Amino acid sequence: MPATLTRATITTPTDREIHIERIVNAPRAQVWRAYADPALVSQWWGRGNRLDIERMEFTRGGHWRYVEHAAKGISGFEGRYREVTAPERFIRSFEWDGMPAHVAIEFVTLTDLGDGRTRINIIMQMHTPEERDGFLQSGMQGGMDASFAELDKLLSASRS
Amino acid sequence: MVQCVKALDSPFAAIADPTRRSILTQLARRDAPIGELAQSFSMTLTGLKKHVAVLEDARLVTAKKAGRVRTCTLGPRRLEREAGWIAGFQKMIDDRFDRLEALLERTANN
Repeated sequence: MPATLTRATITTPTDREIHIERIVNAPRAQVWRAYADPALVSQWWGRGNRLDIERMEFTRGGHWRYVEHAAKGISGFEGRYREVTAPERFIRSFEWDGMPAHVAIEFVTLTDLGDGRTRINIIMQMHTPEERDGFLQSGMQGGMDASFAELDKLLSASRS
Repeated sequence: MVQCVKALDSPFAAIADPTRRSILTQLARRDAPIGELAQSFSMTLTGLKKHVAVLEDARLVTAKKAGRVRTCTLGPRRLEREAGWIAGFQKMIDDRFDRLEALLERTANN
């Protein structure tokens, strides 16, 4: 399967939310394991960068902390689990070290499409539009090419 | 190339092209006549107009005619910054999910 042709659909239906949807070519139980097993999470969540799973108590009330070692620097992400319902859904708080104490809530839902594929829906919900914008800009941290970064800097400067 | 992208009337398609991103960067500094933009990108007027048309369709740029000069300015889309951020965010998410797919392939039938 030409997995590389697939892209996630990213929408911002409100100014405090980011919705992400992607269909993967694997059964739901397997996708759930990729999210639930720290040894597996460390192999993909860091986008190819080294990812240390410092903490992952995958149960309601448990804490999690991932640290990604990207070329441009080290980024930590952490929070607590609000709900863990295998194999379909978990909800956790999500903080990025770059924006400490700006807490988003992440809803991850896996839907069995019945044909061996799984739809992953992620909703990131923030308290304020400014936080939402901050999270969107966190994409700039990794893999952004210089012209985007420069464009953003200039646009923010000229529009604020 | 420019024509096929034009069909996708979205800010993401519009900013997928490095030249168009540079045009936006330039316009963020100050408004500029089309001729001046063409010159600074060493492009023909026709070539540059195609890029500007794509940006106009995405409402990232407005071209106003004053006399014989068409001046480009950043467009009304309040989403312009957001569009740039989402493009970066998209890359981050796609990179992550691509790794997930690769892992799922490796761990299939386990």
